[in-house]
Amino acid sequence: MARMKFICDSERCIECNSCVTACKNEHEVPWGVNRRRVVTLNDGVPGERSVSVACMHCSDAPCMAVCPVNCFYRTEEGVVLHDKDTCIGCGYCSYACPFGAPQFPAAGTFGVRGKMDKCTFCAGGPEAHGSQAEFEKYGRNRLAEGKLPACAEMCSTKALLGGDGDVVADIFRNRVLKRGKGAEVWGWGTAYGSKQAGQPQGAKS
Amino acid sequence: QSNASAPAGGGASTTTSAPATPADDPAPATGGIQGQNIFDVKPEVKRDASSEAGYMQQSNGQRNAVQPGNNSPMWRDVKNGVTGFTTLPYPEAGNLIQGQVQYPGSKFTTAGEAWRQVRNHWIVPYGGALLLIVVLALAIFYFTKGKLGHADVTAGTGRIERFTPFERAAHWSNAIAFVILAVSGIIMAFGKFFLLPVIGQTLFGYFTYLLKNLHNFVGPLFVVSLVIIFLTFLRDNFPQRGDLRWLVKLGGLMGKGPEVPSHRFNAGEKAVFWGGVFLLGTIVVASGLVLDKLLPGLLYERATMQQAHMIHAVAAMLMMAVFLGHIYIGTIGMRGAYGAMRRGYVGEEWAREHHEYWYEDIKAGKIPAQRSKAMTIVDDTQRVRPV
Amino acid sequence: MLLTKKSGAASAHPRSPFVHSLQRGLTSAIPTMDRRAFLRRSGLGVGVGIAAGSLTLVKKAKAADGKGPAVGEGRIEVKRTVCSHCSVGCAIDAVVENGVWVRQEPVFDSPINLGAHCAKGAAIREHGHGEFRLRYPMKLVDGKYVRIPWDQAYNEIVARLNEIRKASGPDAVYWIGSSKHNNEQAYLMRKFVSLYGSNNCDHQARICHSTTVAGVANTWGYGAMTNSYNDMQNSKAALYIGSNAAEAHPVSMLHMLHAKETGTKMIVVDPRFTRTAAKSDQYVRIRSGSDIPFLFGVLYHVFKNGWEDKKYLNDRVFGMDKVREDVMAKWTPDKVEEACGVPEAEVFKVAQTMAMNRPSTIVWCMGQTQHTIGNAMVRASCILQLALGNIGVSGGGANIFRGHDNVQGATDVGPNPDSLPGYYGIVEGSWRHFARVWGVDYDWIKGRFSNPGMMSKPGITVSRWIDGILEKNEMIDQDPNLKAVVFWGHAPNSQTRGLEMKKAMDKLDLLVVIDPYPSATAAMAAMPGKPEDQNPNRGVYLLPAATQFETSGSVTASNRSIQWREKVIEPLWESRSDHMIMYQLADKLGFGKELVKNYKMQKVKGMDEPVPEDILREINKSVWTIGYTGQSPERLKAHMKLMAHFDVKTLKAKASVKDPVTGYDIAGDYFGLPWPCFGNPELKHPGSPNLYDTTKHVMDGGGCFRANFGVEKDGVNLLAEDGSHSVGSDITTGYPEVDHVFVKKLGWWNELTPAEQALAEGKNWKTDPSGGLIRVVMKNHGVHPFGNAKARAVVWNFPDPIPQHREALYSTRPDLVAKYPSHDDKKAFWRLPTLYKTLQQQNIADKLHEKFPLILTSGRLVEYEGGGEETRANPWLAELQQEAYVEINPKTAAARNIRNGDRVWLKSPTGAQLNVQAMVTERVGPDTVWMPFHFSGRWQGADMLAYYPSGAAPVVRGEAVNTATTYGYDSVTMMQETKTTICNVEKVA
Ligand SMILES: Nc1nc2c(c(=O)[nH]1)N[C@H]1C(S)=C(S)[C@@H](COP(=O)(O)OP(=O)(O)OC[C@H]3O[C@@H](n4cnc5c(=O)[nH]c(N)nc54)[C@H](O)[C@@H]3O)O[C@H]1N2
Ligand SMILES: Nc1nc2c(c(=O)[nH]1)N[C@H]1C(S)=C(S)[C@@H](COP(=O)(O)OP(=O)(O)OC[C@H]3O[C@@H](n4cnc5c(=O)[nH]c(N)nc54)[C@H](O)[C@@H]3O)O[C@H]1N2
Ligand code: HEM
Ligand code: HEM
Ligand code: SF4
Ligand code: SF4
Ligand code: SF4
Ligand code: SF4
Ligand code: SF4
Ligand SMILES: [Mo]
Repeated sequence: MARMKFICDSERCIECNSCVTACKNEHEVPWGVNRRRVVTLNDGVPGERSVSVACMHCSDAPCMAVCPVNCFYRTEEGVVLHDKDTCIGCGYCSYACPFGAPQFPAAGTFGVRGKMDKCTFCAGGPEAHGSQAEFEKYGRNRLAEGKLPACAEMCSTKALLGGDGDVVADIFRNRVLKRGKGAEVWGWGTAYGSKQAGQPQGAKS
Repeated sequence: QSNASAPAGGGASTTTSAPATPADDPAPATGGIQGQNIFDVKPEVKRDASSEAGYMQQSNGQRNAVQPGNNSPMWRDVKNGVTGFTTLPYPEAGNLIQGQVQYPGSKFTTAGEAWRQVRNHWIVPYGGALLLIVVLALAIFYFTKGKLGHADVTAGTGRIERFTPFERAAHWSNAIAFVILAVSGIIMAFGKFFLLPVIGQTLFGYFTYLLKNLHNFVGPLFVVSLVIIFLTFLRDNFPQRGDLRWLVKLGGLMGKGPEVPSHRFNAGEKAVFWGGVFLLGTIVVASGLVLDKLLPGLLYERATMQQAHMIHAVAAMLMMAVFLGHIYIGTIGMRGAYGAMRRGYVGEEWAREHHEYWYEDIKAGKIPAQRSKAMTIVDDTQRVRPV
Repeated sequence: MLLTKKSGAASAHPRSPFVHSLQRGLTSAIPTMDRRAFLRRSGLGVGVGIAAGSLTLVKKAKAADGKGPAVGEGRIEVKRTVCSHCSVGCAIDAVVENGVWVRQEPVFDSPINLGAHCAKGAAIREHGHGEFRLRYPMKLVDGKYVRIPWDQAYNEIVARLNEIRKASGPDAVYWIGSSKHNNEQAYLMRKFVSLYGSNNCDHQARICHSTTVAGVANTWGYGAMTNSYNDMQNSKAALYIGSNAAEAHPVSMLHMLHAKETGTKMIVVDPRFTRTAAKSDQYVRIRSGSDIPFLFGVLYHVFKNGWEDKKYLNDRVFGMDKVREDVMAKWTPDKVEEACGVPEAEVFKVAQTMAMNRPSTIVWCMGQTQHTIGNAMVRASCILQLALGNIGVSGGGANIFRGHDNVQGATDVGPNPDSLPGYYGIVEGSWRHFARVWGVDYDWIKGRFSNPGMMSKPGITVSRWIDGILEKNEMIDQDPNLKAVVFWGHAPNSQTRGLEMKKAMDKLDLLVVIDPYPSATAAMAAMPGKPEDQNPNRGVYLLPAATQFETSGSVTASNRSIQWREKVIEPLWESRSDHMIMYQLADKLGFGKELVKNYKMQKVKGMDEPVPEDILREINKSVWTIGYTGQSPERLKAHMKLMAHFDVKTLKAKASVKDPVTGYDIAGDYFGLPWPCFGNPELKHPGSPNLYDTTKHVMDGGGCFRANFGVEKDGVNLLAEDGSHSVGSDITTGYPEVDHVFVKKLGWWNELTPAEQALAEGKNWKTDPSGGLIRVVMKNHGVHPFGNAKARAVVWNFPDPIPQHREALYSTRPDLVAKYPSHDDKKAFWRLPTLYKTLQQQNIADKLHEKFPLILTSGRLVEYEGGGEETRANPWLAELQQEAYVEINPKTAAARNIRNGDRVWLKSPTGAQLNVQAMVTERVGPDTVWMPFHFSGRWQGADMLAYYPSGAAPVVRGEAVNTATTYGYDSVTMMQETKTTICNVEKVA
């Protein structure tokens, strides 16, 4: 089965935030919760680069490891999902996640956060595919519909690639070979471990 | 020149770190690798680029000028947790990846991962082990030595008021809060190992959700009651003559002989008071307030929360260990102790056996035997009557 | 213990249309853009999918009136539409379930955007919610907006209009149309105003690319982008000067970045280090307003090194020798550096890159157009491209990125004060041409005007309607002052001198705002102003217009491709489509029948609405000049359906494919039939992908420079030299434009059918209603109807025939003002007196540069669009930009003790004080500050929320930069000066 991954090509990303609003639109994510965000480094000076980041669906996911209620699970495609019914909103996943992916609808005192929300790789949640319950809790399940993540599909420059790790790597390889530079894939080392990063398929998951 | 086609220092946020490897490999094979050149396509290298003056200190713009497509300076910054620009006005939104740290017990790696290592490799297993060991030790102690003390709480003549109603109310509200916090804390930390497999994901989730919120709201109550407890019992917990002897002999509780004389509280209790209530209590409470986002003026970034959590969890484990002992002594471990706190009165016999100096002081009239205003205490057992 | 799905794992279903389009993805011919293969190989395309039809689409988006259908019982339709936020023209598939817009899908098939969007396009479905829109007509009563029925609104408005007309004549009303209207609505708007008897109408193009249109059309024929976003893939070098495409035309970067990966060199020239600059190979920072010194500095090196294309210049360009003399004398490297701040080496490098990597293209946008000398700046760019021989060349061209989604179309066929649709000048011949097409009597139209002279007098421009109110009556070049203004799809905060605009609004007798989001204008009108300005009898009305997703129609993208939008949903709340409102209003005003004579009506919400297709057919029948005649609704619809079959690089149909509905075969066509698409639809002209391209047959979209300026000037031949004709032309010399005499002379007259002959007799190609002249010369002889002439490097009818640098009226550099002073004042210019030199001198005398030592320039953020009320009402976008801010260089900030995030006052010579957030950044240099212009809703430090119609305030409000921008207008088009003025910034104490 395919192993789902994201690549954000910083040589291409122009910080247009399409990936961000595409996600909001597709999943009707409320104000304050951002499953994806775009960060620009060296803003306003030569060498400026932007990167779009969401959950990377890590191989050895720290969020999963620290969750007190074990509400995370991994799909056959390597997508890290969680069950909002059992999430207790403790925030541990957000402390552990290197990428700041987990989001909470509330940020009140008394540690009140509400149920964690994060990028699902557009793969919904534990409810039945395409059900109302799934949509309301996790947004749409594009993978089940045979579609890829909305953010990547609508990326203005195709900087953001999301899908079968082998394939996105292939596309990216084409690009890199053509331009002869900028082969760095952000976050892969952290998300998928150094060994397997080059071999997207070889996943201990 | 005014035209910024030459890099102007690379921006405020791009302090380049010390060289990672001489080859300036963007992905040195240490923990917490952020990016990877996954195809071995090396950036276009202009001859002599790496021999440029200050190659390793170059900003990303400068590096791009000599080696287009080589963004190592930027990735290095990213790896170090530099915060970039983002339009979202939320704290840490501009951070791509948590910076590298080494928490005690973790590797030098991204903060989140380091925290995970500390929690999952140390706090949870060793904290759990500690609690189990304490429980086990107390059990062994109980089964080998049985209950301590001889006198029943009402034994002997006279009624001495050991704890006023206020003291008892404070203590019990504190104790109840503590138990709730401890139970909920334990479920949060360890529940998935022992409870989840038994009751299943859904039930466990709902249950823990309840406990978690209970923990979050009872915590602040506990803070209040702890302060009261502390102030209430402070006076009698200052070190006094004889405490050292008590300590050296461990109160004589281990041996067969009589208990070492003590004032109102013996050195053991004082140790619990200072170490458990005051020191650990303060730490747990302070870190708990941070975790609850109740302290004003803090930013509550992830690093804050991780550190608060680690402190909280460690102190909480220790505190639970300490108070397991306290609770043991206060309930089944020592004859009469519970009754003293339950009803507030002890008999002279009990007082002399356990707190001889205190007893003497009362007898000498230095301490009144009845401190609370005389009133009717309606006790469910009706065993204590108005004096 | 890991979870598994609770139930209902997907089973294999037939492939959905989405899956199919997914699989098409990006064309595999372009390795670095490829996604099609990706999707196929991801294994997701086939089998796993749930067909759209069987999928239970769930939605939170309830129908506007709250009676959304229950989940899962809906009928699912997919409507293809086009993003309404910018001129790139990204296609969108809207998924509609029982009338509710529930989802939005990328259109991978689109050769323009290949499924890609920017933030705005990806958030477009919010239009289906429309929470913060105006829901019903409203009227200002005692400072508050109250709901009124449509009929009452019409009756009261019409009564007042009639009153005003009676008292002051038709010129007392000012009609501000919109580049947001589709072609049909924009065209109908011009027709509406014409039948009302006035030329007092305008739209956004005035304050956007009017200088471009005038400058470029006067240089080589047509005022439009010559090539396309797609064609930029063929460029070897690209110079972006005054364009921040990464934010303003993000999806264009898809093509450019791909090109870059195949070796294209990219140069960005801008006062700011923009997101576009970040992607460039060379970034050059110039002082705002100094484009001519820079461009001519580049040209200096081109000439000096003999890099100009000599043969091309000889064959196809007029006047370059004069320009050369001027440039070599005036723009030596030291002068260039003095004026724009760029040292010789950098300028040389730009010249070298552009010359050594041909075809090279130039991209410009608002950085060049919005100046008092915008018309000259854009011509300097044209001249550079001509010198390099880059125009009429694939990969070259002047890629002028246009603004609003349909600003090109609205310019082409919409409400311009100086022309009728298709740039037909407002002279009698044109009026007669249109009277015939509209089927109304010419004399009747004439009678509608206050006097026949006003028929051919260009109206006031939108940049200056306020002066039509505020200027003394004896100073203006029309009888009455303006008494009424109708904002029909235009924001107020997009025009300069906001403080004075408030005054003008207060003085009006009637203000009507017809807009889905009229709130910025509404709040400004309701906000208390100075009591002495207040007209006690003023009527303010807000009418809810439908958006472009609630109607259908055609829209012209920047590259001149025309796309057809299907109606996605019915108009929300009580809103009505613009063309319905035009019809209804005209009806009440007494010329409804004349307006819609040629159109069938369709019922929308039970009311009559002109059928957009019929309006387009009328355009097809009239707008010969720029080739809006071939794009029949049927052809456009076939293109929308068959998008997948057009090549991404050339835009040409890859094969012969028939549209099953219309039976139309797209073979040979270019996507969207980019205008000019000459002749009748039956001629099957394929559209023109790149203008003036002689390497193609005219029937394959080829062309040459337009013969629009005579055949000779001062004894010099203006027609193209021999041999420089388009491929396959029977005439190999230069030739003038085609008319009946010319065709007869050539002996081709008999090739017209008798019917055609009857109609074409005495006509030229632009007025021949049969299209016969065009058919014969193009199809039979490969001859271009508009002739074959030279482009003009010297535009003798402009104030500066050779572009001259002139400092902005408000400048921080008195030394340069002395050297490069502005124009002389003009007395009656677009009906208004216009100041240049006197004001500039006054400013120097007042030492304004000491009080306001910083250059203030403004521009765009990717998340917001235009005045911004629409996008700031979209929470998905609004969350991303929550504060109006000003970019300040760290040095400048430090000198003022300002730190990042501080509140600051931005003060300008207009007397405005803007309370905004400081963004301390090296994006701008120390002499410049920059503000996004999309904000409104805060006024000189105060919140205007109380003045909004209740429930119709946007999510984010902020200070509008245009209260701070100053007087200053282009010397040809009245473009406002929004890119270079002065200000100071201080910390809020
Ligand atoms: N997101 C978004 N996209 C849009 C729009 C929008 O509102 N929002 N609007 C659309 C419209 S209507 C238009 S017209 C286009 C405009 O698109 P652009 O013109 O590309 O956008 P601007 O940001 O107005 O201006 C471009 C650049 O000009 C620079 N500039 C300022 N002064 C000068 C100067 O004197 N010389 C030079 N060379 N550059 C200068 C500014 O720093 C700015 O970076 O965008 C369209 N696309
Ligand atoms: N300082 C400064 N000022 C500028 C600029 C700048 O760069 N700097 N740029 C200038 C430029 S290039 C432009 S184009 C203008 C843009 O400025 P505007 O065009 O005035 O701004 P928008 O907000 O896009 O205005 C369009 C209006 O049309 C409405 N609308 C949308 N769709 C429809 C429809 O279908 N029907 C009707 N009736 N209304 C509709 C919207 O709700 C909105 O109110 O701003 C100009 N002003
Ligand atoms: C002294 C009694 C307390 C004990 C024994 C205790 C114990 C614990 C334990 C074991 C955890 C779980 C750690 C883990 O799962 O890794 C925890 C978490 C937490 N505790 Fe406490 N705690 C105590 C008091 C408090 C107080 C006083 C507060 C607040 C004022 C507090 C707030 C929190 C918070 C916010 C968490 C994080 C988990 C969450 O938000 O659900 N605790 N505590
Ligand atoms: C179920 C839980 C608990 C039980 C059964 C219990 C029982 C008792 C008993 C019986 C005493 C009286 C000892 C004596 O007479 O000397 C006592 C004293 C005391 N307890 Fe507890 N206790 C509990 C929890 C706590 C907690 C959570 C705290 C504070 C964090 C606490 C703080 C104290 C203090 C301060 C004293 C007074 C002795 C001293 O100051 O040293 N107790 N407890
Ligand atoms: S990116 Fe964060 S949330 Fe996503 S799998 Fe990795 S650790 Fe978990
Ligand atoms: S917030 Fe929810 S998902 Fe995250 S660790 Fe806590 S329980 Fe697990
Ligand atoms: S994959 Fe889907 S859920 Fe994740 S960020 Fe992209 S759009 Fe949002
Ligand atoms: S959509 Fe693409 S280009 Fe735009 S910000 Fe996201 S990743 Fe970058
Ligand atoms: S705003 Fe322009 S670039 Fe963005 S999606 Fe719409 S049409 Fe495309
Ligand atoms: Mo524009």
